[in-house]
Amino acid sequence: MTRYGSQPCREFHIVVLGTGGVGKSCLTAQFVHNEWIESYDPTIEDSYRTHVSVDGRQVILEILDTAGTEQFAMRDLYMKAGQGFLLCFSITSQASLDELATLREEIIRIKDDENIPIVMVGNKADLLDQRAVDRAKAFTISQQWNAPYYEASARTRTNVDEVFVDLCRQMLRRDDSGHDDDDARNGGGYGYGQGKQEDCHGSVKKKRRRKRKGDHKCIIM
Amino acid sequence: MASQSSRPMRSSLQVAPLAIQKTDSTNEPYNDNGSDAGSTLASTRRGSTQSEMTSQSENLIDAPPIFHNFLQAVYPFHPEYAMADSAVTLPLKEKDIVLVHSVHTNGWADGTLLKDGTRGWLPTNYCVPYNPEEMRILLGALVNFWDLMRSACIDDREMFDGNKFMKGIVGGVRFLLEHTGCLQKDSSILTRHIELKESRKLINDELRALAQTGRRLDRKLKASHRLLRATEHQINELMHDLILRAFKIVRRAAEFFDMIQNDKSLRLTSVMIMETVMEEEDLTPTTDPAVLARSSDAIDARSRVDSNGSAAGPSPSETSKAPTNGRLSPAYQPSTNANRLSHGNSLEIANRISSATICHRVSLAGPSPLSQAHNLVSERLTKSQDILVSHLACLMGRLQLEFVSRPQLALGVKQAITTGGDFLLVIDVVSARNSLSIETLAPLRAVMYDRIQDLYQTAREVLINNMEDAIVLPKEGRRLHVAAVGCVKLSGTCYDKTKWVIGQIGDFEFEFEDNSLDLGFDLSAFDAVLDAKDTYAADSVSIADSNMSEALTMSTTVTTASTPAPRPANLELNKPLPDVPLVSTPVVETSQEAIEDSASAENTSPVSSLRPSLPPLSKLSTEIPPAQDYSPTSTEGSATQDAEFHSFRAESMTASSSASATTYISRTSESSMVSQTSTRATTPDLTHAPRDRYPSVSELSLSDSTTVSEESDDAESKLLEKTYAHELIFNKEGQVTGGSLPALVERLTTHESTPDAMSVSTFYLTFRLFCTPLKLAEALIDRFNYVGEAPHVAAPVRLRTYNVFKNWMESHWQEETDTEALPVIKNFAESRLKEVLPSAGKRLLDLAEKVVNSDGTLVPRLVSSISKTSTSGSQFIPAETPLPSPNLSRGQVQALANWKAGGVSPSIMDFDALEIVRQITIKQIGLFCSITPTELLGSKWTKNKGVGAPNVKAMSAFTTGLSNLVVDTILQFDEIKKRATAIKHWIKIGSQFLALNNYDGLMAVTCALNDSSIKRLRMTWDSISSRRKETLKSLQAIVEISQNHKALRARLADQVPPCLPYVGMFLTDLTFVDAGNPAKKTTDTGLTVINFDKHMKTAKCIGELQRFQIPYRLTEVPDFQEWLLSQIERAREIEKTDKTPAQVLHYRQSLLLEPKEVQQHLRTQMEVASSGSNMFSWIRNNHSTHGLPTSAQV
Repeated sequence: MTRYGSQPCREFHIVVLGTGGVGKSCLTAQFVHNEWIESYDPTIEDSYRTHVSVDGRQVILEILDTAGTEQFAMRDLYMKAGQGFLLCFSITSQASLDELATLREEIIRIKDDENIPIVMVGNKADLLDQRAVDRAKAFTISQQWNAPYYEASARTRTNVDEVFVDLCRQMLRRDDSGHDDDDARNGGGYGYGQGKQEDCHGSVKKKRRRKRKGDHKCIIM
Repeated sequence: MASQSSRPMRSSLQVAPLAIQKTDSTNEPYNDNGSDAGSTLASTRRGSTQSEMTSQSENLIDAPPIFHNFLQAVYPFHPEYAMADSAVTLPLKEKDIVLVHSVHTNGWADGTLLKDGTRGWLPTNYCVPYNPEEMRILLGALVNFWDLMRSACIDDREMFDGNKFMKGIVGGVRFLLEHTGCLQKDSSILTRHIELKESRKLINDELRALAQTGRRLDRKLKASHRLLRATEHQINELMHDLILRAFKIVRRAAEFFDMIQNDKSLRLTSVMIMETVMEEEDLTPTTDPAVLARSSDAIDARSRVDSNGSAAGPSPSETSKAPTNGRLSPAYQPSTNANRLSHGNSLEIANRISSATICHRVSLAGPSPLSQAHNLVSERLTKSQDILVSHLACLMGRLQLEFVSRPQLALGVKQAITTGGDFLLVIDVVSARNSLSIETLAPLRAVMYDRIQDLYQTAREVLINNMEDAIVLPKEGRRLHVAAVGCVKLSGTCYDKTKWVIGQIGDFEFEFEDNSLDLGFDLSAFDAVLDAKDTYAADSVSIADSNMSEALTMSTTVTTASTPAPRPANLELNKPLPDVPLVSTPVVETSQEAIEDSASAENTSPVSSLRPSLPPLSKLSTEIPPAQDYSPTSTEGSATQDAEFHSFRAESMTASSSASATTYISRTSESSMVSQTSTRATTPDLTHAPRDRYPSVSELSLSDSTTVSEESDDAESKLLEKTYAHELIFNKEGQVTGGSLPALVERLTTHESTPDAMSVSTFYLTFRLFCTPLKLAEALIDRFNYVGEAPHVAAPVRLRTYNVFKNWMESHWQEETDTEALPVIKNFAESRLKEVLPSAGKRLLDLAEKVVNSDGTLVPRLVSSISKTSTSGSQFIPAETPLPSPNLSRGQVQALANWKAGGVSPSIMDFDALEIVRQITIKQIGLFCSITPTELLGSKWTKNKGVGAPNVKAMSAFTTGLSNLVVDTILQFDEIKKRATAIKHWIKIGSQFLALNNYDGLMAVTCALNDSSIKRLRMTWDSISSRRKETLKSLQAIVEISQNHKALRARLADQVPPCLPYVGMFLTDLTFVDAGNPAKKTTDTGLTVINFDKHMKTAKCIGELQRFQIPYRLTEVPDFQEWLLSQIERAREIEKTDKTPAQVLHYRQSLLLEPKEVQQHLRTQMEVASSGSNMFSWIRNNHSTHGLPTSAQV
């Protein structure tokens, strides 16, 4: 069951979630878009695939972004495929933050895992004069959810890569510690997040790393 | 073989002719310098691609030393020691302009002299950057042009399509003239200064020549796929010709600009006045019939020369060995001078040609002749073998043809034998080097000689013995072919061996002094063949007359003394700059002096002993044909409004369906006009067009771009066109990817070609995203006005401009946004448009009234106005096909009727999957077809709760509702068996969706079955057969979201409607096109323009969606529809009453049905069971109960 180490090049699916208009597609596009390519064509197979190096390890990421289809009830399909989740809201809209709670519940329900890697992102950090969400407030929520919080801006390309790399790191760690989230185990058990650690409170970039125990505990009637 | 011969030519185009190193890899002079090169910060090689260039310039902004593309010499520089040096040093005269490729830290720059195209090193301290504001665009265009040509190879045919690349240069010249107040031929500044006028004329002539060469190249490229090597060489030669011509234009422009500057400094004020006066001056086009006759004569003659040239033109290698004796053959004169010269017209012209600028094609065409002077034997070997092989290949190519003309063959054989001699000479030189080489090479050389002799003999027999026949019979041709093949084969062996020997004994330099080896063949015999036919004289004279071996002497003065060891490269590169002369020459001269100076520069130009004199570029002083004088004032026509309206209507229909093959025959033109695009200038004014000696409006507008430009090729009037062409960005395919609004409007209304349908529809669809309707109206009116300056194009352009207005208002008008432009349009229609095109003005006014009063579009767009394949429902399913009858039993119909009457609602399970799918599909396709393109722009459906995109919203709501219904119908049953039956039913429905190509429905169903509240119903799934599960799996694979919907995209790509694609995919694509592409782009000249590429991509997505907006042919059952809707509505209701998301409610329900604990328990039990024996499987049933039997597995 437990896997030690991992293949030289892991492949992960990251699902980007958030209500329409929070600029999550910009975030994704910025991250995946190779600057040297003059124009971005989202209709080709590799449009959402990219290669990152995290702590010296090569990882292939495929970003699943529901952008544009928020009104469709297709999210489950995306979420099922995801191993890590980016919860995006806009710092200019309180409502977009409120929406995240539902999304998170959905993730946990679908993945049936309280400790699925999640990163919370306050986008549009460049629009400081329109800020509607207090940073401390957002941070508090992220702590409750046990997820690192970043404020990012797709426009100025601030913290774009950091967000994805952080998520990647979480997924890699989880992968190493032997979590397995195959569909076969769906409904299989709860993993308890334990021994949480907190660290750095950066000015813009605030993140918490989580240390997990790969315990699966089954409750038997 | 082919690659061998093409390689040196290509690399020479990209690399400075610096033969510094002893090794073979002379390709990278910098790399050879090791660490020295590494530390050279200022050494910036110009990238070959555009992106590299921009990135470089960005870097250079940071770094203090700015890279200047052009330098101008301020002091004369005469490299005395050039000969002894191993690198080419350019001699400079004052005011010489140099295109810089790279600058070394030591201050030497690698550049190409615009004067003659020679490339080499020059001291930067003798120069100043040259980048005057007025010349900026032209210089920028030249850099682009150079990059384009340099990176060009024969395969890049499409690149030259439409001569777009030359537009930049024309635009640059225009910019210069405009900013110096000399745009009009008879502007007062020009009339006052006769020199200026002359100079301006010279520029015009050059432009015209450039255009001609460009066209010839175009033709060659088109024809080239049929021919072999010969054409390849010709094309290369033409490309070099083009570059040189472009250089010349810039030089002329620089001279002109100097004159202007001098003049300006003297009389600054008068110029200002002049510019304002200029506006009012009328054009008086030349109508002198004599001039006209002469010019048309010239055109004829030219085409004759062309056709000869294309039959068997000289290859660049021949050019490089061109006569040194100054006897010029018409074949080398690409343009009108050839004609004149062959007529023996005037001594003066001949003089001019011989004294004209020495053109250094070779420096572009092959390894530089200057580097040849101190050439290494190995290079010489490669080159001579290349030439030999290419001649032989050319000969063999000709022999492949069924009938070959004798003179052509004779020419080929002669060339091959002469070059064979050269090749042998190189081998001789190598074998004379030492004993090893003699031993190895002597036998080979003997065989090679035999082969050449064999070729000679065969050719003699074949060609000379039957001279009365003009055609060589295939049988004889075959013999010659065999001989040629023998030569080719052996030359390869010889080459390899000799190369090996050179490797053994070390490469050395050798000056090939004069004659190539005299093989003792009587080549004059072939000349006789050549002379026999006058027709081929043009081709052959040059070859026949010039002593090929003599031509091979690249240097005449350098002695044979071979320098034993090549100098190390560093010596050259570390060479200090020469001291700047102490006496500084005055930089500013009077205009008179400038002319004299330039004239003398031409006459005495670099006749250093190193330079072979090559055929000069022809001086292109052809009379300019008079501008076509079309006065747009139309007489009041007698045509009835009615008839006019009909034609007009017909056109707009054809225009909107871009691919429909309606043939629309104009009244004045016999040519049938397949509708092309909506900007095609058609013509309410058709009947008003003056018909006498001027071309009618319709002729002008209908004539193809080529005919317009071919027949009225007039550099003068081309120049007069005000243009924004330099504000456009193209991609490699030649599509516009960016441009300022005026530039885009200009492109939309261009007279010379019809812009492609895609960009036209893109423009109409997306213009509101990059400009306001008001701005568009103003830009169009501006276009209408400024084109008046160019009389010969004004008429078609104005019609097109009107047409854009018309199409906009008829088919693309959006009241809420576009009304702001209405006053401007009305005003324009009443005043300016009415003056010029009265009935058009009237028509536009009518339209302006109509758009106010109507809600929809006046002329309904066809379904697929954007996509390239025009589609209409009838195209795919003929209307005659009978509608399938509903698959409903009487009982089912009755049940529906009961329900309608207020009775019990039937269940989904009561109906056949096929019929459910049909009825759902009818509903969905109805919603899908009503989605308008504007709803899909700017992510409207995600903003403001989708108010701006009602149909997209309805569509997504329906799909979501359907998904909910699926979940709901499954979860409504308490019994596992019933739930399983429901799931099975939905899987069947999913399969039917697929059968009907309804991917949206398929997506909804598979999503629902994968919903967490369904997926977790373990007990239910356990009672479903693996066969059904497999079916579901295959359905899921189709709508799989990872890899960017790879499977679905592949299916849609070749899906023929009727089909309902998954709308969400398009919405995501559109969102990402919007998010991933910036709104603006920057041109090379630093101008920020609209990123049209982004809008093209948007339009492409929308077009792809529209491709499927075609209704299914299915029978609607109203009762069924109503019931289905009520079911979906009911599924949605749950959410509304509880204010909890449906998913949550479903999940709760799911937990109630199959609680987690039970599942957990079950799981353990099962594990026990599976570890034990199957006997215990009954336990599972016991546990899973809630008292329900789960017996029957399906």
